[in-house]
Amino acid sequence: MKQTLLVKHAVSGRMLIDSGKQDVSFSSKPEGNGWQIDIGVPWSGTIEEILKHKDELNVFIFYDYDDQPTLKTWYYVGKGLVAYDRDSQLLTIGAQSRIEYYPHEYSV
Amino acid sequence: MMNLFPASERHVADLGWLRSYPAYSFGGYQDANRTGFSVMRVCNDDYIAPGRGFGAHPHSDMEIVSIVLNGRIRHEDNLGNRVVSSFGEVQRMSAGSGVIHTEFNDSDDEELRLLQLWFMPKQRGAAPSYEAKSFDTGKLHNALLPVVSDKPSAHTASIAQSMTIYLSKLDRDQPIRYEAAEGRNLFVYVIEGKLATLGHSLTAMDTAEIERERELTLTAEEDAFFMLVDLP
Repeated sequence: MKQTLLVKHAVSGRMLIDSGKQDVSFSSKPEGNGWQIDIGVPWSGTIEEILKHKDELNVFIFYDYDDQPTLKTWYYVGKGLVAYDRDSQLLTIGAQSRIEYYPHEYSV
Repeated sequence: MMNLFPASERHVADLGWLRSYPAYSFGGYQDANRTGFSVMRVCNDDYIAPGRGFGAHPHSDMEIVSIVLNGRIRHEDNLGNRVVSSFGEVQRMSAGSGVIHTEFNDSDDEELRLLQLWFMPKQRGAAPSYEAKSFDTGKLHNALLPVVSDKPSAHTASIAQSMTIYLSKLDRDQPIRYEAAEGRNLFVYVIEGKLATLGHSLTAMDTAEIERERELTLTAEEDAFFMLVDLP
């Protein structure tokens, strides 16, 4: 199973982080009533943009399997904390909730 | 004060199955000077090939309105809605704390044209919802017909923002007057034909952002089909 993290600007659709194309580490875990996504990524102008647009982020983790359809998990940031720690080079995104969905279950 | 944005300066995104004319920054089109007007963030005039569309994807904290101008759209979402709409119908999706949806051209042989409009909601984090409403297309004739509003009715879809979207079809030389409340902003989009207002002529796909004008008279220089949005 392969996991891919994507962070996009929700309005423009612009990709801000794509773990499939960048060397970033990430993990997600339940935190309080929501979720916390930790992303190990060096500081850059993109991180600045993420912090600037923290109210308009789409955060996904895709789970690609060899023998079953892709599961997509989308995180709703809402009022969640979005912060960057320069010392540990860690971007933390707090999400209020998440929705899991299988794209193939929707008709085309 | 009126800011006219002519169709000739408008970006075109052609993906083969989708021809999109965004009035504001969207997707691959990014212009720091055109990121929205009042609470409007997106105004796309989309042409979608038969059988094609937007696959499952999420939205949050946005009021999304689709106005079908030609053809049929099929909406499906994780709230359990599956609705086909055509001209004379609008759909409003309040994304709130999150919704997954698809939008497809429901026809095998007819192109779909729709206006895709996004507005910031009054409050973030609300429960997501969806509504489709039909209106009498005959009532567009030489009148401003509200099709989406925070003051909804049997034929006007609701929206969680202080605003109203009107549609109108004016006969040539026919004027129509609109009176806005103090401090409101107005957005005009010409769908077809030619329209004159505030000393300017607007042709198909032109947009006008209007501020600090309490009274607006729109006159059709040719038969015209247009949208007027009253915004905070």
